[in-house]
Amino acid sequence: MDETRIQTFQDDCLELLRQKTEGRTVGRRAFLSTLAVLGVSPALFRLTPARAQARELVVVNFGGDAVTAMTKAWADPYNKTATLKAVIDGAGPNSAKMKAMVESGKVTWDVVDRNLIAALELGRQNLLEKIDYGIVDKSKIRPEHAGEWGVGSYIYANVLAYQTDAFGGRQPKTWADFYNLKDFPGKRTMRKHIDGQLETALLADGVAPDKLYPLDVKRALDKIRSIKKDVIFWATGAESQQLFRDREVTMGSVFNTRALVARRESNGKVDFHYNQASAWIGAWLTPKGNPAGKDAFKFMASAQDPAGQVELFKLLGNGPVNPAASALVPADLRALDPGSPENYAMQVPADPEWYATNSAAVLTQYLEAIS
Amino acid sequence: MTGDMDGQTRRVYWVLLFAPLVLLAALYLFPLSRVLWLSVTVPSPGFGNFEQLVSSSAIQRVLWTTLRICVLTTALALLIGYAVAYAALHLRGWRGEALLFFVLLSFWLSVLIRAFAWLTLLQSRGIVNTWLMGAGLIDQPLTLIRNEFGVVLGMVHYMIPYAALPLYANMKGIDPRLVPAARGLGAGPVHAFLKVYLPMSTPGLISAGILTFIFSLGFYVTPALLGGGRTIMISEYIAVQINDTLNWGVGSMLATTLLLSIFAILAAMSLFVDLRRVFGVR
Repeated sequence: MDETRIQTFQDDCLELLRQKTEGRTVGRRAFLSTLAVLGVSPALFRLTPARAQARELVVVNFGGDAVTAMTKAWADPYNKTATLKAVIDGAGPNSAKMKAMVESGKVTWDVVDRNLIAALELGRQNLLEKIDYGIVDKSKIRPEHAGEWGVGSYIYANVLAYQTDAFGGRQPKTWADFYNLKDFPGKRTMRKHIDGQLETALLADGVAPDKLYPLDVKRALDKIRSIKKDVIFWATGAESQQLFRDREVTMGSVFNTRALVARRESNGKVDFHYNQASAWIGAWLTPKGNPAGKDAFKFMASAQDPAGQVELFKLLGNGPVNPAASALVPADLRALDPGSPENYAMQVPADPEWYATNSAAVLTQYLEAIS
Repeated sequence: MTGDMDGQTRRVYWVLLFAPLVLLAALYLFPLSRVLWLSVTVPSPGFGNFEQLVSSSAIQRVLWTTLRICVLTTALALLIGYAVAYAALHLRGWRGEALLFFVLLSFWLSVLIRAFAWLTLLQSRGIVNTWLMGAGLIDQPLTLIRNEFGVVLGMVHYMIPYAALPLYANMKGIDPRLVPAARGLGAGPVHAFLKVYLPMSTPGLISAGILTFIFSLGFYVTPALLGGGRTIMISEYIAVQINDTLNWGVGSMLATTLLLSIFAILAAMSLFVDLRRVFGVR
């Protein structure tokens, strides 16, 4: 995996998955069904980029080599019922590639695994098809997760994770504790990208969750600048986990999925909670002029199945976006599910509208502030 | 008969010359110029993107960081590279060759592996800090990495072969009897070095310096991994503009600026030295 480019959440999920399967803690079938929910559905893995010449449904995510061996077996069930055979392209559908593809008029992708913000950003540039809610079932998701150009696929979060033994028995409860270097000493880690990071500063400063958006960028950046010499900024999820493993940091603002793995591998010495966490919604998108047409939405509809979503959560920690699926999560894991009603209520959902409008400009300011 | 052969040979030469040129133009120069063209056409035609060089504090900060780190890296790499090249040339027997071998060995290691090796060695629970604390020399781990010090360290390490090898080639051409001759005429060791050896190795220093500096300008992986996320150089910033913010105009403007700066450096240097000699064309 490319070590330096800004990694997306989906990149990180597949890397986690890859580590797990190589460590053989996940059954093959479980792995396959997880891939399905992540979008690596029914497919033949092909060495050449999948091309939608004839009649295929091209589903694109950040799969890479993690997908290689498994897709063939998984393809069968879907391809039995579908009229169009699905193929997988692990090319990593970042915005630059999608823009280039749509603008050149040579669209080869049908379904793409991103989030609701990318849906707005790209949709407004006229790069996406509108979701057909005649095919995708709106009643299986929360209303705010049914976007015009993107439909929610799973929930993830930016959470506060910490070393439980670093503060003499005290545990950080809020982002205010995160910014309090006096009572909670030690280095911090934050993401080298704005997603969910400015929120930590403003919540720590006492901004009410319902008054968070539009974000007060200057105030947030000043706050982050005040502690930045004690912050290591992570670019990949693996890096954030490694910082906890090496005990380079005592607290971090990280993906819930990485926090979950850190918690497990440290036997609870690293812990996290969903209080004041920033909730993010993974989403399916369809590039404008996709070759397979409406079949893209049939695929999205199939991924709404609760069983697959619960399986994904068990393996990776991506919470079910379908509220019906949360009820199926085993009782002992419910506290860790970002999509459970209790945890979801505790979090502050990221505002796609704000991000779609401001992301580019504020990212530049953020990089300036932390460098 | 002979004339025919010559004509044919000449045609073969022309084909051999043009085939790669055409290939290069089609597969490299054309796409490159299309990307650079974006800098004056996107989002609107004109030099609006280039205005950001003076108006955007973020870009100025990145440029300043890049310049600062590159100058420091070049200076340190030249200093160490000079010592290494000099030693490799003047050590007796196998020692010089062994030294050169180790320089080449690190030259062949991937930049990623080197960065991770530095992380393992220098992080707060890394080998160096553990050892220093075990020996009672320090109480708190030293912050040796994930800051600008770490970036410069990693870059200098990467650049030493690029500095040492041209210097070695240059020094090999210096008549080894000249310094003893200067000593024989009454110059002290320092004086003889400064007045005789150093001036003769200046072309080597310049070519090594240009090579090191230009390479340093494009560094991406090392600052990203060893800088703790706080050292952002121009390549990384360009990547963010292209991949993430989709400000392709700004990204290609910076790429154009980088390319033009390199040409400008070469042009400026050509006023002082014969670049063809520096790069071994003659």
